[in-house]
Amino acid sequence: MANPLRLYLACIKNTLEAAMCLQNFPCQEVERHNKPEVELKTSPELLLNPVLICRNEAEKCLIETSINSLRISLKVKQADELENILTKKFLRFLSMRAEAFQVLRRKPVQGYDISFLITNYHCEEMQKQKLIDFIIQFMEDIEKEISELKISVNTRGRLVATEFLKQFM
Amino acid sequence: MAYLGRSSPTLKETILKIYRAEKPIEMDQHFYEFGSIQYHIKCSISDPNIVYVSTLTLLETQGTVMLKEMSSHTYEVIKNIAVGVIDIVDPPRVGFQLTLKLHLDNIPRGKEAIITITRISEIQAIILSSQLKEMLKSLNFQDDSQAMNSNRPIRIVYHPSEPFYVSRQPEKITAVFPMNFKDNSDVVIAMSFFQELVEVGSQKEMGKAPQCSWSPVPPFQLRGEPVHDLITNAGFVSFDITSRHVEGKRLDKTVWNLLNFYAYVKYHIKCSRGYIQRRMRKRMESLVKQLNNTRLEEEAPEKENGGCKYVKELVKVPKGKFMMQQRCKDMTRRVRISKFRIRINGCARFRWISIPKFSSKFSNKSYTKLD
Repeated sequence: MANPLRLYLACIKNTLEAAMCLQNFPCQEVERHNKPEVELKTSPELLLNPVLICRNEAEKCLIETSINSLRISLKVKQADELENILTKKFLRFLSMRAEAFQVLRRKPVQGYDISFLITNYHCEEMQKQKLIDFIIQFMEDIEKEISELKISVNTRGRLVATEFLKQFM
Repeated sequence: MAYLGRSSPTLKETILKIYRAEKPIEMDQHFYEFGSIQYHIKCSISDPNIVYVSTLTLLETQGTVMLKEMSSHTYEVIKNIAVGVIDIVDPPRVGFQLTLKLHLDNIPRGKEAIITITRISEIQAIILSSQLKEMLKSLNFQDDSQAMNSNRPIRIVYHPSEPFYVSRQPEKITAVFPMNFKDNSDVVIAMSFFQELVEVGSQKEMGKAPQCSWSPVPPFQLRGEPVHDLITNAGFVSFDITSRHVEGKRLDKTVWNLLNFYAYVKYHIKCSRGYIQRRMRKRMESLVKQLNNTRLEEEAPEKENGGCKYVKELVKVPKGKFMMQQRCKDMTRRVRISKFRIRINGCARFRWISIPKFSSKFSNKSYTKLD
């Protein structure tokens, strides 16, 4: 892992460790309902200040916390058009299959590429530390996958171009 | 058009079917290929050895050379595919460009038959190539005065949405392809391909290949052409064909490669998209696996094993059997107690009275049969 990325991820990890202390909390508006307060945002007393961690202008992470839920929104680096298309394709692919991930939000928060919603129920079912590790691993994997895909597409294009021009010779 | 082979697969299959049929077949079949090539095959029971194949291609050419009608040279080339097998019907079937009369009984037997039929199914490739071939031949590379006089490029349309231009320059012919794609992701993949194409073309090893260039704006050769042709989303790709590329056998290759350039790019895009999709699917599976490992330890072993249900069942079955065995033993013990040790309070003093033992086993001593 590159040094600047490590610092960025370490910062996110520490923030998540601090933020992920969720507890069961019934909805204050509707009786016998239990809703993620970070989504509803009806009771300001149940919300914590959102934390925005930026690596640069194009790469940032927003962590919004409430008493019973936590929302993590990521913006992934897109250096050129190919990266932009690949990122959009990949994150859309994952969002469309959000049911497989449980903690993934179907629609990202505006201004971000992908969002996670972790509730107290998820924390009860899963190990907190491993869940944080998963988020960090997810971020690493996305970046790695997109750069690998970009290289592969370019290499493939180069090979195809060589084969095409060879036919004239 | 993603099929890069010269022969038409459907035409080949149909002719082979008629050729191999044990009983004569009646056939009157129309079909299209790549949206712009039309075929008609006719075969009757009365004369099973004769098959009529008609074909039509969209050929719109504007400029100095008009070759909508096929030249005598093309007819000759088609006849020479299989001498004695192919006859050209004049006039062709109404609405078609060319009608061939195939004599199936003259086709040599064995492996030769497949080769001949494959070559017959290449007629469209021959017709399409012949137009561009004659253009390249007629545009004399040495005669520069002609270049000055006829500077207007020739517009060639083999597919309504894929026209391209051939223009004459001093000592070279430039083929310009305006590239258009429907999908944005296709545009991006195509652009990266064009960049690679230009880069590879400029290498020393590729010195003999035609020089390739890409520009987002129309090249100067296309000045004055209709605006709708010059509006593209992936720019313009140009190939500079020199006299070297049209010498002898190379002419055939050059023409076929230029004709199939759109198909080649589209096929590359399709394959790249498939590759991206495969990679994404694989990565998603690994991410889901990671997330499943975060579950609390009670459930973790279930998830680790793919067929958790079955493992659970396997574990439970012996436990259940053991329980059953225990219950059975307990039951039999109780039954024994209830059967053989009847306790009557206050009868302890009559312990000396012996109770005869009854055995369930059959023995000769205990009973004798009465007559």
